[in-house]
Amino acid sequence: MIATLSFLTRRLSQGALIVFLAALIVFTLLRIGPGDPARMLAGGLSDQASVDALSKQMGLDDPFIVQFGKYIGGIVTHGDFGHSYIRSENGQSVGGGHGDSAGASNRASVISLILGRLPLSLALAAAGLGLALVISAPIGIWAGLRAGKWPDSVTIMGSSILVSMPSFWIAGLLVLLVSIKLQWLPAVGYSGPKYLILPAIVLAIEMAPIFIRTWSSAISSMTRRDFIRVAPVRGLGSKAVFTRHVLRGAAVPFINTLGVMLTSLIGSLLVIEYVFDFPGLGKLTVEAVMQRDFPLVQAIAIVISTFFVLVNIAVDYVSGLFDPRLDY
Amino acid sequence: MTKELLKVTDLSIANVGPATPRPILKNLSLSVAESETLAILGRSGAGKSVLGRALMGWVDAPLGVTSGRITLEGQDVLGANPDALRRIRGTGIGYVGADPTRVFDPTLPVGRQIADKYRAVRPEVSAKEAMERVHELFSLVRIPEARHRMAELPSKYSGGMIQRAAIVDAMIGETKLVIADNVTQPLDVTVAAQIIRLFQDLRERLGTAFLFITSSVPTIKDFADRIVVMDQGEIVEEGPTPQLLAAPRTEASEKLIAQSPRIWGTTAPESLSAEDIRDMPPALSITALRRTYKVPRKDKLFGSVFVQAVRGADFDVYPGESLAIVGESGCGKSTLMRLLTWLEEPDDGSVQFHGKNVGSFTARERFDLRAQLQLVLQDPYGSIPAHWTIGRTISESLRLHSPLKGKARRARVEETMAEVGLDPALYDKLPSGLSAGQRQRINVARAIVLEPTVLLLDETFSALDPMEQTPLIELFRKLQRERSITCIFISHDLALVRRVASRVAVMYLGRIVEIGSNHNVFSRPLHPYTRALLSAAPTIEDSPYDPNECLVDGEPPSPIRLPKGCAFADRCPVAQEACMSSDPELMRASERSRVACHFPLAALEPASVKDAAHVG
Repeated sequence: MIATLSFLTRRLSQGALIVFLAALIVFTLLRIGPGDPARMLAGGLSDQASVDALSKQMGLDDPFIVQFGKYIGGIVTHGDFGHSYIRSENGQSVGGGHGDSAGASNRASVISLILGRLPLSLALAAAGLGLALVISAPIGIWAGLRAGKWPDSVTIMGSSILVSMPSFWIAGLLVLLVSIKLQWLPAVGYSGPKYLILPAIVLAIEMAPIFIRTWSSAISSMTRRDFIRVAPVRGLGSKAVFTRHVLRGAAVPFINTLGVMLTSLIGSLLVIEYVFDFPGLGKLTVEAVMQRDFPLVQAIAIVISTFFVLVNIAVDYVSGLFDPRLDY
Repeated sequence: MTKELLKVTDLSIANVGPATPRPILKNLSLSVAESETLAILGRSGAGKSVLGRALMGWVDAPLGVTSGRITLEGQDVLGANPDALRRIRGTGIGYVGADPTRVFDPTLPVGRQIADKYRAVRPEVSAKEAMERVHELFSLVRIPEARHRMAELPSKYSGGMIQRAAIVDAMIGETKLVIADNVTQPLDVTVAAQIIRLFQDLRERLGTAFLFITSSVPTIKDFADRIVVMDQGEIVEEGPTPQLLAAPRTEASEKLIAQSPRIWGTTAPESLSAEDIRDMPPALSITALRRTYKVPRKDKLFGSVFVQAVRGADFDVYPGESLAIVGESGCGKSTLMRLLTWLEEPDDGSVQFHGKNVGSFTARERFDLRAQLQLVLQDPYGSIPAHWTIGRTISESLRLHSPLKGKARRARVEETMAEVGLDPALYDKLPSGLSAGQRQRINVARAIVLEPTVLLLDETFSALDPMEQTPLIELFRKLQRERSITCIFISHDLALVRRVASRVAVMYLGRIVEIGSNHNVFSRPLHPYTRALLSAAPTIEDSPYDPNECLVDGEPPSPIRLPKGCAFADRCPVAQEACMSSDPELMRASERSRVACHFPLAALEPASVKDAAHVG
């Protein structure tokens, strides 16, 4: 109990620091980079005076440290991540050229933009990950129990082929085949769960081979351990040995891979959502970056780094449950 | 009247992998009666372990049974279907191996794993009953704080404790026969002696039959009813223990008995005796040496614990003598060795080399010290680079420390190789394929090629079997005579120490508890711990010290939480109140002995008791 509490306090406080540093780095980089948000918001045709006025109103003239302080203060005190430079509440882009001050009131709050997109991305990620896990576990375990024999070599070969194909290429191929040729499933956009299927399959194809390899190597190395080989001599049945000891021991490497895959999933979502024009967080990120929508990019960066930190803590904690000797 | 329990008829096992099967066991027949203790004796490679496993129905590829039958109470073991075999293994025969650390899943509490096994072989037992039964047996094998221990992971157990847990695991299904394969081999002598005593006790209380597999005659001489001697896969001799040991009829048995360690029947080596060294300044002098390791605590957010590995060791080593440092695992021998060689710096105290304090050496002086003080390591495989030629390995230190070059250097190396009994033709060969004994000669050659004045031997002979040990010990005697090298042996093997050391220092929990001449320590031990070690030493002779009287229970306390008084007090058979409160210093007990004990066993010379002067 004390150990768990101490673990969580220690890791969460470390995590908060990491997220803070990530926020600082992103905040700094965006301000060092080219492009003046006030000029962009005011529009190319506005005169310098109104740009300056807008700049002052948005606080862009303040010293860097003050700007960052205000930003972090807003987040910590009332969860305010600021407002998008570009987007209005109804999702349309505003600003950009008319000189009329569309005004902060009309611009969408970053948090509502993110929360609006997050469920779709989560659904896609869950579908892809779930599919990958369901496919990989039986194949990986089956191959792992037959290490060195043909099922093992076949799965290793198959996995290597799949893992070396880029996901956007697989996506294009599937769209061409399933949507255009066979017309079974819709390919782009989103208006119903059917639209999840193709992108989820592509995600699963990307992740499954890695899970298969993890399972098979973890299982086969467990079966070579002395206590597993001695277990039948002690009088244990093979089923009990498998569920209580082999699976349990293989769970630790699997959970670690799962953690890595969860974090790399974010990158995959960016690509897949963009390719399928899927209106999730990934697509929002790509657009925000391209439009220099600083508040939105910052907020997404903070969300992602928080996710990284939490996944890592969860992985270490769960690994510790399976193998109490691990001591983080 | 005794009923036959296990019967092996005409058993042959061969390596059936290659085209022509290579026989491992040849037409063995033997039987074990109920409650009988049978010892299978043979040197390593005789096929004992293969036999032991086969009795459990455990014959893995590439081995295969080519003929014969094994029956337990009339039931066929080798031909049993998986379910029947599982019942035989759980409730008929139990197996305890040499390495019990590998029996248990390292991620689960030991108690639960044994309970799981019990329920697997006795499905009618409830989970709660199973845990109760484990608790009962844990207490029976004298695991202290049984309930607490059951909930701990295997990694928290010491070697002796995990061996006890493995014995519980083998016996929990009310097994009728327990096969114990080399069970005492990895254990310290006092712990090994405790385990043997435990087996005797279990046999008397439960009437279980034991099949004891070992290469060590002393281990089973007081324990086995009958001995079967194996050699090269065959049974060569069989008979009741006393008769067989008194009058072996075959060469194999004779050899096994002759090579068994002796302590009292031999004499101390003729090297410089304590009288001769009196006037010489010591070669190496250690004063109040301390080393404590700081280890972070796991159960708290902050804070550390301190492991006191060496707690104030002092002694002198005189030129040309051989001092042995004896002690059980965890007593700080290895830390002490690292401090002596200055691989690690002490927290406190000093090491003086020929009168000069190593702590105040310059980097250059310390470099030169390395040439003077060489180390011979324990592991003959891990300590020699496999991809270097033997010549290069030996000449490496010459390259660093000596002006010799080219042909001269090679000549010196070849000379040294010849001196240690290595064929100089091996100079350009790789070490692969050499025996452990040959490899140890490379290690010795590497150490003496610089003509050091002090040699440190850390368990150098432990990895060798008796056949290889003897010539190497002879080699050391010769080297010491010819070059008058000072040797410090670090060892846990008392019989070996008896043969090589002129003086012996006994270490317990980071401190020297007794130091004296070979003769005094072995025939008139002063410290109760020394006597306990001697009573537990596996020798073929009858020990003058009765284990029942001298042997200590339990294990050393943790070097983290040391008791206030004497560290040995809670295991000491003669401890008194004073021992619990005050920690005895190492004091002069006689002309040539010092001991750290309030109540030394032999009579003290009254005048010298308080004289804690710095004597050898």
